[in-house]
Amino acid sequence: MKRALVLLCAALLLLAAAKKAPRFNASLPTVGTRFGTLPLGKGRAQTEAACYACHSADLLLQQRLTEKQWTAAVEKMIRWGAEVKDADKPVVIAYLAKNFGPENKFVPRKTRPIGY
Amino acid sequence: MLQMNGYAVNAETPLELLTDYLTPNELFFVRSHWIPRTPNLSRWRLTVDGEVKTPVSLSLADLRKLPVTEVTCVLQCAGNGRALYTPVLPGVQWRYGAVGNARWRGVRVRDVLQLAGVKDSAKHLHLFGSDDPPRKVPPFHRSVELAKAMDDAILAYEMNGVKLPAEHGAPLRLVVPGWAGDHWMKWLVRLSPQAESQRGFYMETAYRYPLQPGAAGVAFKPEEMSPVTELFVKSNVTTAPKKAKAGTTYDIRGFAFSGAPDIAKVEVSDDDGATWNEAQLDARHSPYAWRLWSYRWTPRAAGTARVMVRATDSRDRVQPRDATWNQSGYLYNAWHTVDIEVTA
Repeated sequence: MKRALVLLCAALLLLAAAKKAPRFNASLPTVGTRFGTLPLGKGRAQTEAACYACHSADLLLQQRLTEKQWTAAVEKMIRWGAEVKDADKPVVIAYLAKNFGPENKFVPRKTRPIGY
Repeated sequence: MLQMNGYAVNAETPLELLTDYLTPNELFFVRSHWIPRTPNLSRWRLTVDGEVKTPVSLSLADLRKLPVTEVTCVLQCAGNGRALYTPVLPGVQWRYGAVGNARWRGVRVRDVLQLAGVKDSAKHLHLFGSDDPPRKVPPFHRSVELAKAMDDAILAYEMNGVKLPAEHGAPLRLVVPGWAGDHWMKWLVRLSPQAESQRGFYMETAYRYPLQPGAAGVAFKPEEMSPVTELFVKSNVTTAPKKAKAGTTYDIRGFAFSGAPDIAKVEVSDDDGATWNEAQLDARHSPYAWRLWSYRWTPRAAGTARVMVRATDSRDRVQPRDATWNQSGYLYNAWHTVDIEVTA
């Protein structure tokens, strides 16, 4: 009787777990474990050094900004602590404006559900 | 999910998955300003200080002794839809899925504040979370009008029947029914009623919306804007056929919500808004929750059919054809349109 009760409880737990787990494509990464990479080009290393301390490349890859907007964004980030040498500032702005201008296309990375 | 930033994690829900009345936690969008520090629950306390008679420090066990309350309502990021504005704006390029509807369980803010005794001088509730920004980035310090907080805001420790997940602010977050997500402070550690509103970047520069519409692309001055508070009336299509046959009937579905407590109607048009037909609203509802809706659509002729949806809330506010451009890309709520290829 006791054994049957244990088995019943185990079966119910399994059922509950099966109901809870969402279906998803197991080849997808867990959210927050894979990040985009910046395209090759002059200014890439300085941009990585300036930006990666606080956020992944994904945040850059989705932007579609004019050079004026990139200048404002880079200056804001420098005020907020991004490490960019004076000589590198125009290099970083030019790199971002060239690669992530108004015509940029971005497809977000698909991931598993949160927590999986 | 659709990852918008790897760290701090920002991810939106694919729109076609937002079909449930309660958005499952694992599909609920995540918006994080900084990488949170997971608090040690045995040491975690919520401090209430400021314009109060007796400052208090509460553990989770203390909070759980207070009367339990539950609300089902929409949480939408203020920037949901930012990517849809023209001219384009910097920031996380949210499209449609930084929104969800959940059941939040916890305690009323007013019950917690009453333990400390709020002085009459207090008009704003300052909110502090445990997440620290890196470098010289301004802290995400916010305040919410005390009247709203005392009216219906709750401190939630559960989401959809389970312990509040870490990415949603465990152990405690603020829930402000009908108001945009910037008020829904996560990882709460301190509440402080004050006479004045909170200062700083995230009150004085960010999360502000124009008082009057202006020209798209022309930035508003600070005095031309006020803080983002209530959500705007909005509806989206989650389910529609990609291809259809003229004369055949199809189900089109979606959700609608507002900063008003309810949605009065949802309408669908397939002639560029010249005529509208009412969709059927799902019976499930709670103040500030979304309404699921469905519509039986029969395309008349071959070609590309553009189906559009608009909602009207219980305060008679109608979702507009175009959203008001603003320099931070907040509260996008233009008619949602989907194109369907119709064959004869």
